[in-house]
Amino acid sequence: MSAASWARISTDAFTVAFFALLAGMLAAFYHLAFRRRTVWAVSVALAIAGDAALLVSLVARGAAAGRIPLGNMYEYSIALAFLVVLAYLVFVEGVARVHTLGGFVLGFAVLTMAVAALFLDVGPGPLVPALNSYWRQIHVTSMIVSSSLLSLGCVLTILYLIKDRRERREAMPAIAGGSVDVDPRSEDLPHDLVAASDEPEARVVRRRGLLPSAATLDRLAYRMIAFAFPIWTFGIITGAMWAERAWGRYWGWDPKETWSFVTWVVFAGYLHARATSGWRGRRAAVIALVGFASLLITYYAVNLWIVGLHSYAGV
Amino acid sequence: MRTALVLLLLVALAAVAGSLVPQVGVADARIAATFRDHPLRARIFDQLGLFDVYGSWWFTVLYVLLLVSLGACLLPRTRAFVRNLRTKPVPARELDGMRHYAELTVPVGPDHAILGARRVLRRRLFRVNGPNGRPAIAADKGLARELGSLLFHWSFFLLLIGIVWGKGTGFTGRAVIVEGQRWVETHANYDGTLREGRFFGEDHTGAQVLVRDFQVTYRPTGQPEDFVTRATISRADGSEARDVAIRVNEPAEFDGVRYYQFGYGWAPVVQARGGGKLIASEPIVCTQDPSPEGVSPLQLPWNCVLKLPSLDPQVGVTFELWPDSRGLVSLLQTGTAMPMFGEYAPVMSYTVYEGDLRSELVQQAGVLDTTAMREVDRGVIGAGDTVSIAEGVSMTFSDLRRYTVLEVARDRGLWIVFAAAILVLAGLLPALYTSRRKLWVTAEADGGGAVLKVGGFALQRRQQFEEEFSKLVTRLERASREGERVDA
Repeated sequence: MSAASWARISTDAFTVAFFALLAGMLAAFYHLAFRRRTVWAVSVALAIAGDAALLVSLVARGAAAGRIPLGNMYEYSIALAFLVVLAYLVFVEGVARVHTLGGFVLGFAVLTMAVAALFLDVGPGPLVPALNSYWRQIHVTSMIVSSSLLSLGCVLTILYLIKDRRERREAMPAIAGGSVDVDPRSEDLPHDLVAASDEPEARVVRRRGLLPSAATLDRLAYRMIAFAFPIWTFGIITGAMWAERAWGRYWGWDPKETWSFVTWVVFAGYLHARATSGWRGRRAAVIALVGFASLLITYYAVNLWIVGLHSYAGV
Repeated sequence: MRTALVLLLLVALAAVAGSLVPQVGVADARIAATFRDHPLRARIFDQLGLFDVYGSWWFTVLYVLLLVSLGACLLPRTRAFVRNLRTKPVPARELDGMRHYAELTVPVGPDHAILGARRVLRRRLFRVNGPNGRPAIAADKGLARELGSLLFHWSFFLLLIGIVWGKGTGFTGRAVIVEGQRWVETHANYDGTLREGRFFGEDHTGAQVLVRDFQVTYRPTGQPEDFVTRATISRADGSEARDVAIRVNEPAEFDGVRYYQFGYGWAPVVQARGGGKLIASEPIVCTQDPSPEGVSPLQLPWNCVLKLPSLDPQVGVTFELWPDSRGLVSLLQTGTAMPMFGEYAPVMSYTVYEGDLRSELVQQAGVLDTTAMREVDRGVIGAGDTVSIAEGVSMTFSDLRRYTVLEVARDRGLWIVFAAAILVLAGLLPALYTSRRKLWVTAEADGGGAVLKVGGFALQRRQQFEEEFSKLVTRLERASREGERVDA
């Protein structure tokens, strides 16, 4: 097949993926609000289909360009969306068996894809010589994998903050009565057990069950970030090794380098905060959000607005 | 630890400032523009060292403070860890108050039951203390977590040291070498691009780099595909000569100094004759203005300058080089220059000035200071042509060559830094993914058998421990039954 037809397949698959994930997101939110199991199943099926289409789009793009499709911001974005949805399917739906978060994660993926399609789209093509190195595959892949896990962790962190706030507010009268201990961490039950607990009043179940418990969300978020952090570290190290080969120094405070370092420091702070009593919970969550903001700057702003050596990575 | 973390965050913030404000050696033109357009802001930034964040005194202070505070909190932690390694797990009472607790009745006596429990825990790599006289043991597991954490932090410390040592004793600079020229690696030959470390001992290698040729290939779109500098590098005395091909991503190393492909350009050879004598014959290095949006650098001409200070009055010539004359022709005919991929009947347009070159002032390379000169002639010269540019002075465009720009650097800390980075990663994994667990088992006689009480908790990853704990209890029960068989 010719490069042009591969490129067309890539674009078509991107469109299919976009609408599948968008529909999946809507279905997931519908399930969140009205608790229809069939709708949930549909949303997961759409997520799987959309993710498969994203993979097709990425592979077809690689075939069109005749190289590994991790050469510019548009391709990173497809890969990021693909991995975020994959991580959500594997870890949140699969391992943790939490079935109420799909809408938020798919929403993030859809947003990433929309930004890519609107602002970052460049045709598939070969790369400048400096990018022509096997280090690119190693470095970029680890950066994308960890970015997607960090993104998922931060979606979960936002949900944790929302849920935690509500739990505190609801627990307020109970504290006044002096009967309930409201340490959110003490609740280690998976969310499904909470939802299925035999409380007679539907109202109570609905109020508690819209999202998994704050403790579950917090733990999931922490796991994602703790999983991503070493990969991010590895990505920075391989980036430094590549920079040494290509530019003659392993670290030159190029904007991309600087911001990836800032992101690393902030998430290191998050991990330390989690290990420090008095800093767990909301405070640590806020640090994670700062880290996520820094990640977004590393990922988008540096390429779009700040001139540096990474600028030629397409857009 | 918190101090170190805050200092690290400050280093990161300083780096952010460095990514937003143009830096010396990276964006000199933008610094100059700031001084021109916003003199007050520029002066304030300059005073604060914001144009050279990484070389400023306060960045150094931050860095040193970070090292000190990191070391200061790691030393006691390491001592505590070593002490912890030596001390045995401490016995505990009142196991039923622990987070995880189980009781089981086993059909063997307390002493046997506790020995069985000890075997089970030892097999699962717990450190076990006891039984010491009475049927009770204390056990713990997961020292790898603290070990990994210490490895991570010490490696990070080593990494910071490696950076300082490598950068401090090293240097970086750029060598501009025309095809056929020999360049010597000494201080004077870097034309002001040299940046030396604080502890650099002026021990340049004196290596000779003879550039045999430079090649660049382009894709039809005008995107460069490959650059290669073929050179012969040898010691100052000519020994150890080695042929190398330097490409992007493929540097050459010689005597601890690395040579990286950095840039390239055109260098016309212009011979000037005055009064029957040859007064200039060296290749002239041409540079290019940054190309405007939508224009490929391949469509732009190259600029350079020839200075003839020995003449009276002094003469200076500025050139605009079109390595492929079809570029100039298409520009004149259609208004858009054709991209020039290589050499094809090259031409130069030139302007001749007469007067005072003001050589006594510091002059920027490649720029002619015409304040004390006047224009006397203009023209176009093709390769091989000779023109008269002044009374009794002629100029021949005899050859067109390429030049290569090599980034030359020495960093002896490189291997320390990479080894430390790998150790950072090696420490990070156990530090994040293992957990410290403590467990106690006591046995009391109960009829013919015994009651085993098991209590314990995990300091991290508590959910996983819940599962592990119940598995351990099952295993203890089974082990005590096996113990019964041995008894019989």
